[in-house]
Amino acid sequence: MPIKQNIAPTLIAVGVSIALSGCLQSEPQDPKVSINKNPYPSTYQPLPKETTLIKNTTVLIGNGERLDNADVLMVDGKISQVGKSLSAVGAVEIDGTGKWVTPGVIDVHSHLGVYPSPSAESHSDGNEMTSPNTSEVWSEHSVWPQDPGFNAARAGGVTTLQILPGSANLFGGRGVTLRNVSSHTMQGMKFPAAPYGLKMACGENPKRVYGSRKVLPSTRMGNMAGYRMAWAEATEYKTAWEKYDRDYAAGKNPLAPARDLELDTLKGVLDGDILIHNHCYKAEEMAMMIDLGKEFNYKSGTFHHAIEGYKIADLLADNGNCAAMWPDWWGFKMEAYDMIQENVAVVNAVKNSCAIVHSDSSSTIQRLNQEAGKVMFRANENGFALKPAQAIRWITLNAAKSLGIDDKTGSLESGKNADLVLWNQSPFSVYAQAEQVFIDGAKVYDRFDEKYQAKSDFMLGQAAVPASTIKGGE
Amino acid sequence: MKNIKLFKASLVALALSAVSNVYAESLAITNATVHTVTEQGVLTNATIVIDNGTIIAINPEKVVADVTFDAMGKILTPGLIGSMNSLGLVEVGAVSRTRDARDKKADITFDASIAFNPRSTVVPYTRKGGITSNVTVPGGGDSMFKGQTFVADLSGEFDSVYIKENAVIIDLGAKSSGSRALNLQKLRYKLEDAQKALKKAAEEEQKAKKDKKDKKDEKADDKKKSPKEPKRDEKIINALLAGDKPLIAYADRATDLLELLKLKAEFNLDLVIAGGADAILISDQLAKAEVPIIFGALDNLPSSFDSLHSSLKNTAKLTQAGITVALAINDAHNLYQLRFEAGNAVANGLTKAQALASVTANVADIFNIDAGRIAVGKRADLVLWSADPFELSSKVDKMWINGKEHTTQSRHDELRKRYTTDSELPRGYTK
Repeated sequence: MPIKQNIAPTLIAVGVSIALSGCLQSEPQDPKVSINKNPYPSTYQPLPKETTLIKNTTVLIGNGERLDNADVLMVDGKISQVGKSLSAVGAVEIDGTGKWVTPGVIDVHSHLGVYPSPSAESHSDGNEMTSPNTSEVWSEHSVWPQDPGFNAARAGGVTTLQILPGSANLFGGRGVTLRNVSSHTMQGMKFPAAPYGLKMACGENPKRVYGSRKVLPSTRMGNMAGYRMAWAEATEYKTAWEKYDRDYAAGKNPLAPARDLELDTLKGVLDGDILIHNHCYKAEEMAMMIDLGKEFNYKSGTFHHAIEGYKIADLLADNGNCAAMWPDWWGFKMEAYDMIQENVAVVNAVKNSCAIVHSDSSSTIQRLNQEAGKVMFRANENGFALKPAQAIRWITLNAAKSLGIDDKTGSLESGKNADLVLWNQSPFSVYAQAEQVFIDGAKVYDRFDEKYQAKSDFMLGQAAVPASTIKGGE
Repeated sequence: MKNIKLFKASLVALALSAVSNVYAESLAITNATVHTVTEQGVLTNATIVIDNGTIIAINPEKVVADVTFDAMGKILTPGLIGSMNSLGLVEVGAVSRTRDARDKKADITFDASIAFNPRSTVVPYTRKGGITSNVTVPGGGDSMFKGQTFVADLSGEFDSVYIKENAVIIDLGAKSSGSRALNLQKLRYKLEDAQKALKKAAEEEQKAKKDKKDKKDEKADDKKKSPKEPKRDEKIINALLAGDKPLIAYADRATDLLELLKLKAEFNLDLVIAGGADAILISDQLAKAEVPIIFGALDNLPSSFDSLHSSLKNTAKLTQAGITVALAINDAHNLYQLRFEAGNAVANGLTKAQALASVTANVADIFNIDAGRIAVGKRADLVLWSADPFELSSKVDKMWINGKEHTTQSRHDELRKRYTTDSELPRGYTK
């Protein structure tokens, strides 16, 4: 659910006078206490844009449809139309013959900016490994917008990405969804009105990190206890605030509950404002996390790195959970031992499923198209009949759904944000390259025009490769 | 690589393969599009005959074989060769008792081949990528020398290791504590000291001979004057000085690479750079010195201050500069993706022929392996592809390792089948 902008700032009184309240109470009302849900608002502005028409190309809409020899028209930053023989007065025309157009790629799991390149102790800001519950930290406060990885990901067609905290903690903190635009502030990248995420982590990581310190959790049952204690407390916090709001509305002068940043985030989940993004590999653990959500009345959201998603594909679909997966990473931990290359396809095969291919990597985020392609081809070798139009969903519309922004982006349906990629061929080829990338109808990357190739502050002025050493280069 | 070295390596290989299985049947693969990775280039409608683990004929006038297989025009390549990873030494990264690639006390003598586990589930999984051999590299310990590499095939059989201790690994460059200078200095001192010791030993030997001539009766002194047997680690340094073993140096920054080039020139080392993010800055010098580079084609981020010039185009540029480039994936569990790495290098300027060489012949040349090409006398490590080997959409149709056909099925396929097969009983009964 989108967080409304322009909500009254934190703790600023909304004046309600006694006279106006007109109640028969003995005590005058203090100013109403309310919590600003958006204290670091987006300042993102689309780049300069023109009406643009891509002609005669293969279009994967993102919703499962495909159009051949079609045109795509972008007007005022929105997808105006996709269809045959379109025209628009004054439009910049791009010949898409032999090329493919897809929605902009969305990565639901990235640590760009919080674990940036170069990897340096000064920049290792992704994992607040000081307590098993750090719901109070927000990844956006760690983002270094000069991470050169953002530019590299854009060259791979990534237009939107969620930056998550790491997985050391049961509750790692809030994630933030960014537009993949060049900006020197985090706010300048922040996806307007995208909901926050809350990173949770199952399994080996939290119990290893805290078990070694003799702090709960040191076991998987300790993990579960840790979540349950936190949700129980958050439920009380939510009840306290609701009682406060109710009593205040009734004209009483209640004392507002003490502000708790950790519980604010958990309450945001219970209120449905913040979406769960749960690092959780194993079938039995995901099944318990689904029940945990039911126990405390919140949606268990998206399972990330769901290596064993294929074992519970029906359960995930029945409960409306998305599962974000790699095509092939495995073996680095016991919980990553039961990988199958067709995992995404098996999860996808169930009705109402929400299968996603994610990166969790500054390298593979540049090739999510290939990551999805690997799944499609391996699955088709083993009894599936997946088509590009379906596979593209894993890195576009399903990802948008997971982030709660599928009403704005993720497919090339009329009225949606014009986030798209023009590929030199089918994006599911190892030779595919993004030629042009658009965000909100504005060109943000062009492989053949340096003007549209942003460079990080960090890379500026680093000695260039001398041209003389390159023989037969470009 | 010098021919003499290849000869030596193949002798070792022959000695080790003596214990290998002997295959009763010879096989002719007919009607294949053979990418030889030799001067022969691509042979269409070609026949390859293999016997006893070796390629014995290409396009013979008369095909003599026990079994014939029609490749129906599909692409046949040498088996791909992985390197710079811990295949067979690590089953699960985070399970300490399945890890044998590292030991705090490991030094230059560390030979992890003894711990190689051909039964690792990573081995059959990796076959899915058309990998038939791998140069496994130890992670080592506190010493800058990480130990020695070995070569194993991916047959999964207990005699998979066919070359041992064939290269020395040294880790140089940026350090999280201390100065990079010290290790380079220590390497130089090691080489200098060894050279001096060898010279002294030679002089003493000369002198002993002379003395012996002069004083024929004084036999008692003979023993005392004979040169000391070098220690195990010294022998390895001596092998580097003799050019008998390549020195594989992890290093990225141009200054480190230049210092290594100096050492190569001074001590006549068979130097190979692993990493070499800055190689692009000094590609002329590296090409002139004939220093090969083992490279990650997808490394394009400035992951450290040693690698500010990383680019997807560097594989192509270095190759065009005349450098022998081998592509590698340093994570054994992802090694099967090597062909996609080569494909991405093609997307960024490498030719397909160069890309194939970078995952076959070039690796073989760097590590003195008698494989990586389809030529008479080479190991019969062959892969038949459904289509373009580098494409995401292709797959291994058939593969032969040491002349024997192997499946690409692995535990992963068993898991998939279990969870995609309907049954009235719980999944545990689907086997």
